[in-house]
Amino acid sequence: MRATSRREFLRAASGATAGVASWLALGKAPAFAQKRELTFLSWNHFVPVSDDELRRQAEAFGKLASCEVRVDTIAHLQMPAKIAAEAQSQSGHDMYRTAGADAFLYEHLHANVDDVVEKLGKQYGGWYPFSAEMAKTKSGWKAVPWFWISFQATYNMAHFKKAGLETPKTWDELLKSGRILKRQGNPVGIAISHCADAHSTFWSVAWSYGAKVIEADGKTPAINSDRTAQVIEWYKELYRDAMEPEVLSWDDASNNRCILAGKCSWIHNPISPYNAALANKMPIADEINHHNSPAGPAGTHSAPPILGLGVWKFSRNVELAKEFIQFLFRKENFDAWIVASNAFNHPPLKNLADHPIWARNPKFAMLPKEAEFAHPRGWPAKPSDAVQRIDDNYILADMVAKAVNGMPTKRAMEWAEQQVALALKGQLKVG
Amino acid sequence: MAVGPRALEVTGLHVPGRLARAREWWEQEHVFGYGLIVPALLLLTCLVAYPFGMAIYFSLSDYWVGSPGGFVGLANYRDILANDVFRQTIQNSFVFTGIALTLKTVLGVWLALLLARDMRFKRLIRGAVLLPWVIPTALSTLGWWWMFDSLYSVVNWTAIRLGILSPPGPNWLGQSAYAMAAVITVNVWRGLPFFAITVLAGLVSIPREFHEAAEVDGAGPWGRFWHVTLPLLRPVLAVVILFSTIFTFSDFNIVYVLTRGGPVNMTHLFATLAYQIGLNGGNLGQGAAISLFLFPLLGAVVFLQLRYIRKE
Amino acid sequence: MAGARDGEVTIRSATFTYANLVPFLAFALFPFYFMLITSLKSNAELYNLKSIPFLVQTGVIADHYQYLFQRTEFLTWMKNSLIISVVATSASLAIAILAGYSLARLRYRGVASFGTAVFVTYLVPPTLLFLPLSQVVVWLGISDTIWALIVTYPTFLVPFCTWLLMGYFRTVPREVEECALVDGASRMQTLIRIVLPMAVPGIVCAALFSFTLCWNEFIYALTFVSQSANKTAVVGVTADLIRGDIYYWGSLMAGAVLASVPIVAVYVFFLDYYVSGLTAGAVKG
Repeated sequence: MRATSRREFLRAASGATAGVASWLALGKAPAFAQKRELTFLSWNHFVPVSDDELRRQAEAFGKLASCEVRVDTIAHLQMPAKIAAEAQSQSGHDMYRTAGADAFLYEHLHANVDDVVEKLGKQYGGWYPFSAEMAKTKSGWKAVPWFWISFQATYNMAHFKKAGLETPKTWDELLKSGRILKRQGNPVGIAISHCADAHSTFWSVAWSYGAKVIEADGKTPAINSDRTAQVIEWYKELYRDAMEPEVLSWDDASNNRCILAGKCSWIHNPISPYNAALANKMPIADEINHHNSPAGPAGTHSAPPILGLGVWKFSRNVELAKEFIQFLFRKENFDAWIVASNAFNHPPLKNLADHPIWARNPKFAMLPKEAEFAHPRGWPAKPSDAVQRIDDNYILADMVAKAVNGMPTKRAMEWAEQQVALALKGQLKVG
Repeated sequence: MAVGPRALEVTGLHVPGRLARAREWWEQEHVFGYGLIVPALLLLTCLVAYPFGMAIYFSLSDYWVGSPGGFVGLANYRDILANDVFRQTIQNSFVFTGIALTLKTVLGVWLALLLARDMRFKRLIRGAVLLPWVIPTALSTLGWWWMFDSLYSVVNWTAIRLGILSPPGPNWLGQSAYAMAAVITVNVWRGLPFFAITVLAGLVSIPREFHEAAEVDGAGPWGRFWHVTLPLLRPVLAVVILFSTIFTFSDFNIVYVLTRGGPVNMTHLFATLAYQIGLNGGNLGQGAAISLFLFPLLGAVVFLQLRYIRKE
Repeated sequence: MAGARDGEVTIRSATFTYANLVPFLAFALFPFYFMLITSLKSNAELYNLKSIPFLVQTGVIADHYQYLFQRTEFLTWMKNSLIISVVATSASLAIAILAGYSLARLRYRGVASFGTAVFVTYLVPPTLLFLPLSQVVVWLGISDTIWALIVTYPTFLVPFCTWLLMGYFRTVPREVEECALVDGASRMQTLIRIVLPMAVPGIVCAALFSFTLCWNEFIYALTFVSQSANKTAVVGVTADLIRGDIYYWGSLMAGAVLASVPIVAVYVFFLDYYVSGLTAGAVKG
C-alpha cells in the first residue's frame, strides 16, 4: 500500500506543480513580450532643434527594435557629477554622451565597443585621428566618437577690408593684424577668463607653438618650458596691443556678443554667432565669415569639443545600445541630425563629412577640414581626470591672466606647473 | 481623575486600563513637551547635525564624487590654505561682508528714519522698499547682470550720458575692483530693505517721551539721533547685523549668477568656491573643507554679537 | 509744536522726506522696470548699441514670452515650485507649531537648551550643508527629484518658523490655557482649539515667509536637481535659458519676471504680514 501511495503522491504532486506553474505562467505576461527600455543621458544641446531631432530618431529606433528609448538631457556642466553618481551606484542610464576624459576615467565601467567602431570605420571611410585619441584605451575602444564642434576663426569681413588686411594664416599674423584692427576700433577677442572658450583657444595656440601641458607619459608636467613662455609672450602682446581688458571677465557668450555688436573683428569660436545673426535677421550676418584655425611654428592644431557615446557595462541593454548607436550613424539619420543642428554637429567619420550643408555654403566650406588638426585636451598625454581638472579649474586661463596682469612669465609658469602637479598628484584611480 | 484605575479594577468595573494610563502619561507636561519637540529634533538631527558631521568627515578624507576615499587627516585644509585662490577668497569674503554691512547699516538706519516720518502713502512706500528682499535673489540678479553687461550696460550708458564716466565705461564684471563693487551693490540692494524695515520697527517702538525730553534739553536733530535714538536702537541693530553677517558671509546666489567668482577669482566667496571645487571639480573633500571655514568665522561673529547684546 | 508755522513746516518736512526717499525708491524699483522692458524688446533692438535702454522703441513684442512657454519647460518648473513650496511649508509648519508650543509654553528639563539648539541650527547656513546633503539625497534615492527639495527645505524652514511661532505663542495668555486644562481638555486639544486660533497671525506670517523662502531657494535646487523636468522655477530660468554661448536675454528677463509674479502677488496681498514678521523678529530680539 505504501509504495502505491508514494507513486500516487508523486503523481499528484507533479500534477499540482504543473497546474500551479501554468497558472503562474498565464497570470503574468511572459518576459519577452514586455517592452525593453533603453535610457540615454545626453546634454542640453546648444541648438535645441538638434535635441528634437535626436528624440525623433530615438522614437523611430524604438519602433524598429520594439523597445522604448528615453532620452534625458541635462545641462553640460552638471553632467560630470551625474555620471560620477551613476558610476558610483552602478545604476542609472544605459548609455550617455561622453566628453573629455570620460572614456578613460570610466574605462573599466564601460562596455567595449570595438565591434561598432570597426564596422562604422569600414563603412564610412575611416575615423579622424582624434577619434582614437579620445576613445581608444588600453583595453580597447570604450566609447564611439559621436560628433565634434568646429572651433575655428570667426571674423568680420568689413573690418578686415577697411584695414586692407588678409585673414591671418598664423597666430603671429593675427597679432600683427590685431594691432592695426584695434587702432581702427575693432579689437580681437580671445577670452582669458573662466570660460570654456578660453581654454579651447589656449590649447590650440599652445600646440601650434609646440608647447605641452603634460608629457606624453601622462605623469610629468611639461608646462614650464620655453615654448610655453613664447605662448604667454604672444598672449601678453595680443592683450596689450590687439585686445581690450574686458576679455579678462568674458564668459562663453561674450565673444559672440562682441562680434555681433560690430565691435570685435576676430574671435575664435564655433559658428553660433553667425547662426544667431541669421536667426535674428541682423544685418551684421552679411559681414561675418569664417576661416580655418591659424597655424604656428609647430603646425596647425585645435582643441574643439569632441563628444562620444559610452555604454555602461552594468547596463542590461548593452547590445541594444550598440544597435541604437549604429542606427544614429545611418547616413540618412546622421545627415538629418547635422541639418537639425544647423551645421553645428560635425561627424567624426570621413565620408559623412562631405555634407552639402558645408560643401555648398562658402561660409562653411572650410569647416570640415578642422577635423584634421583636432586633438582631445591633454594631448600628447592621454585624456585623464587630471586634464579635466586643469580645465575645470581654469589653470591655463589663470596662468595667462596673471601674466598679462603683470606677473613675470617665469613665475606664472611656475605657478601653473605647481597646479598641474597638484592635479596630477590627485589623479582618480576609478575602478 | 479622582479615582485611580486600580480602584475601578477592584470594584470589578471594566476599564480600558492601558489606554487610559497611556493618555495620562501623555498628558504630563514633560512627556507632552518632549513629544511635541521630537519631530523637529528628529528632522534637525538627521538632516542638519548628521550632514554637518559628514561635512567634517569629508573634509578630513579624500572624498571625491564617485569615489569615497580614505582618511587623510588635515591634508585638505593644508592644501586649500596653500592655494592662493582660497586665500584670495578669504580676503574677498571679509571685504565683501565688511563693506556691504557698513553700507546696509548706514543706509538702512537713514532709510528707516525717513520711513518713520509722517507722510502719505506710507504703506505703499514701505511695500515698494521691501520688494527687492522678497523677489527671488537669483532672478533679480539676472536683471543686474544684464545691467552690468560689458557691452550693453545701462549703468554705463546712463553714467556716460550724465558725464560721470567717460566712454566706453568700465567693464563692471570684468575688472576686479568693479566686479566686487557690482556684487556689493546687488547685495546692498537686496539686503537694505531687511535693515530698513527692522530698524523702523525699533524706531517706532521708542517712546516719544525720550525725543521730547531731549528736545526740551536743547538737543538738535543730530544730537537727538546720536544720544537718544542710536543707543536705544542698539539691541535691534545688533540682531539685524548678526543675521545679516551670517547671510552675507555665506552668500551664494549673487556671486554665482553675476560673476561665478571671477574675474580671476576676485569675487569668489566660500560658498561659490566650495561649489566650484566640490561639485564642478568633484573634490568633495576640499569643497567641504572650504565651506567649513564658514563655521568658526560665524561662530566668532555670533559669540561677539551675543556678548555685546548681553552687555547692554 | 503748535503754531501758525505748522503748515509750512509740514510741507517743508514732507518735501524733505519725499525728496530723500526718491533715490531709495528708484534704486529699489529700477531693476524690475528694466527687466520688464528688456523682456518686451525685440532682439534687434536689444543688441543694438545705439538704442536707448530705458524705452522700447521698435514696438513691444511677445516673442520672448512665447519662446519661454513653447520651447522651455517653464510651466513645469512653476508647477514644481508650487508643489515643493506648498508641501514643504505645510510639513514645516506642522513640525514648527508643535515644537514652538513646546518650547514656548511647556516646562521640562532641557527646554532652554533645546531652544538654543533650534536657534543654532538656524544659524548653520545652507551653503555649508549643501555638499554633504547632496550625497545624503543620493543615498536616500531621491536625488534629481522634487522630493530631494521637499525633504531638505524643512531644515531651514523649521528653525525659523519655530522661532517666529514661539514669539506668537508667548503672547497667548496662560490663563486661557490653564482654564481649558482645568475644564478637562487634553493638552493637544488645548493647543489646537485654544492656542492656535489665537496665534493665527503668527501662523499666517510663518506660512508666508516659508513659502517665500521655498520659492526663492537656489543652492539646494541647483545642486540636487539636474533634469530639466524636475527643476524649480528659479533654477530653471537661471540655468536652462543659457545654451552654451547663446544667452536668450529677452527670455531670461521674461522668465525672471514671470517666475517672480506668484511671490509678488502673495506679497502684495499679505504685505502687512511680511512687515510684521520682520518686525517681530527684530523687536523681540
